[in-house]
Amino acid sequence: MPGNNFSSLPDELQLATAAHVKYIQSLDTRKDEYEYWLTEHLRLNGLYWGLTALHLLGHPDALPRNETIDFVLSCQHDSGGFGAAPGHDAHMLYTVSAVQILATIDAFDELETRGKGKGLVGKFIAGLQNRESGTFAGDEWGEEDTRFLYGALNALSLLGMLHLVHVDKAVQHVAACGNFDGGYGASPGAESHAAQIWTCVAALSVAGRIDLVDTDKLGRWLSERQTPSGGLNGRPEKKEDVCYSWFVLGSLEIIGKTHWIDREALIKFILGCQDTEKGGISDRPGDAVDVWHTVFGVAGLSVLRYPGLQPVDPTYCMPKSVIRRVLGK
Amino acid sequence: MTSHNTPRQTQSRTEAQYAAEQTKIQTYTTLQSSLLSHISTSGYTYNPEAFALTTKILRLNPEYYTVWNVRRRLLADGLLSKRSSGSSPSTVLPTTSATSDTLGSSGSSSSYQEGGETPVSRESPGTEKGGRSGLQLEKTQQDDAAQESSTAQKNDQKVLTDELQFTIPLLLASPKCYWIWNYRRHILSESIFRLPTPVARRIWLEELGLDSQMLTRDRRNFHAWGYRRYVLGMLESKELDGKSMVEEEFKFTTDKIKGDLSNFSAWHSRSRLIPRLLDERQAGNQERRSFLEEELAFIHDALNVGPEDQSLWFYHQFLMASFTPGNEQYAIVTDFSTTEKIDHLAQEIAEIKELAEDYDDVKWIYEALVEYTVTLGQLRKLENEEETDLRGWLGRLRKLDPMRQGRWDDLEASWKL
Repeated sequence: MPGNNFSSLPDELQLATAAHVKYIQSLDTRKDEYEYWLTEHLRLNGLYWGLTALHLLGHPDALPRNETIDFVLSCQHDSGGFGAAPGHDAHMLYTVSAVQILATIDAFDELETRGKGKGLVGKFIAGLQNRESGTFAGDEWGEEDTRFLYGALNALSLLGMLHLVHVDKAVQHVAACGNFDGGYGASPGAESHAAQIWTCVAALSVAGRIDLVDTDKLGRWLSERQTPSGGLNGRPEKKEDVCYSWFVLGSLEIIGKTHWIDREALIKFILGCQDTEKGGISDRPGDAVDVWHTVFGVAGLSVLRYPGLQPVDPTYCMPKSVIRRVLGK
Repeated sequence: MTSHNTPRQTQSRTEAQYAAEQTKIQTYTTLQSSLLSHISTSGYTYNPEAFALTTKILRLNPEYYTVWNVRRRLLADGLLSKRSSGSSPSTVLPTTSATSDTLGSSGSSSSYQEGGETPVSRESPGTEKGGRSGLQLEKTQQDDAAQESSTAQKNDQKVLTDELQFTIPLLLASPKCYWIWNYRRHILSESIFRLPTPVARRIWLEELGLDSQMLTRDRRNFHAWGYRRYVLGMLESKELDGKSMVEEEFKFTTDKIKGDLSNFSAWHSRSRLIPRLLDERQAGNQERRSFLEEELAFIHDALNVGPEDQSLWFYHQFLMASFTPGNEQYAIVTDFSTTEKIDHLAQEIAEIKELAEDYDDVKWIYEALVEYTVTLGQLRKLENEEETDLRGWLGRLRKLDPMRQGRWDDLEASWKL
């Protein structure tokens, strides 16, 4: 098993857990940074990313539970959908994050008592399905993408409301997004892209239809994402980036082929992207850290069984213990 | 919150930098709260000041999706004419007023975006017509209606082209921002409902030109390639009086590939266009065979130059579908006999072996040799010599590409030699 012999590595290749926890805790206190304001449209996603990283790092209580719930509920609209922050429009991307956060901290009941109810959330998501093609829009303006399809199946399955949508049609749509290289794109005809592949494969996984994936072809394409640096890229001839440690690796984990890449080299690459002093993980060594790369770096390490991390579910990018509790499996 | 290619700051901000940052925050949050207060007092009722605020905020932060939505609502409420349900414009406008929509022009924004000018006013129909009667009245009303519809269309055309113009500099600065592409998509779809078809079609054609320029700046831009498929689909549709553009687009991929062999996006696009291209040419078996030969020759030339480029090998695999059992879905030629498949496979293997003589340290070559030989083994029993080759090539793969050792193990285990 990779990871067992990492205790002998130099400091910069140790996981700086304490620094990462502190970094994530500090994210909502950076109001004197312009970036904080410019990224308000990602706030609820950011909370999901930070919270998930903390749970995987074994610090599930590092963010205050009540304030977390208050913030999530403050983003909900009368439609049932959630926006990125209060005053931001409802969209699939934030609604999924809201459901994931509430699932992680076991707070669906708060949605019933203080929010607008699970039923309305399910209705908002189901209302975005294109009943002809099976895919999903992000919001009322109609942009469709396999990211939204995956988000819908993810959140509805956590809420126990998959019956509200045509799962078979959604599955057919994912199949139609497949390419000759074994990968999947954002829509039928679109180029294979590691992040879209993860959303498609994970959507099929939620629907119990992994049998539709050509695992040899896809595994081959995904394994070729590893560059000599040990990191993974998202498409042929592109630079490696820590976020693909999740999108590529999560997909490989779902199809049972993580051994098709050099796992130790990837662990070293991710660890090399840490800011061991101030915490956080960046896209590549030496770049500025952010919470998006932090969660996907940590989740990648978890797939790679890095010691001390909680196991992550490759379909949901949430702790396995949470998925077991919510789905009973 | 998601930064790419940004160097890590090692030093903390100086006092001056800190102060400058606070000023920027102040400016930004003031704009934001002004817009929010407009919305909370008067909803999405058009107001030039609120509209100008969206312009300013989006220039500072094009990722602010809610502000794009506000802008769409304000446009619909006040700047664009009210759409009568279900009707589409029938009169053709003169084409002189089309705003040029090219990358070269700077992001000049029209005055209304700054809130300085009120949009073309729309008088409500039926006012001040009391003195007329009978047929004359009807005739006048028809003229008025036509006049009004034409004015409304001219107004809409200006509003829509100004919106497209406004977003160009933002797109150039943030070519991977989903929301800008989405907004353009929204504006373009409005043109179909609001403008005479030839005018709308010209706007969409200009958009295809813009997209081509975006792909010149970044040949792999995932957004621009996806958007291109959408724009082409619309240009081919009935709504825009379209017809197939598959031949032109196929040529576009050829040009892109000739400019840069590593452009996997272009190779991918080509692979998706080919089935349609051949269907529309009503290509028979012979024509399909010649087409495949030409494509194979094209990729061989490319491989001779850059055999370490995985884009080329993925496309090669796509072409090999015609000889590969189980890949019929992607086959260009669908009626090859088993003997023909065997001959073609053997010929490809021979070509690639030659490549291995020139480049003996490129793992892709051995991967292809292994793969196509295994395919050959599905069609006929492999000779002893071929099995020996196979083992030798796998050995080369293990040596040249140790990162994927697990894959080579699984591959070997799957052979029943």
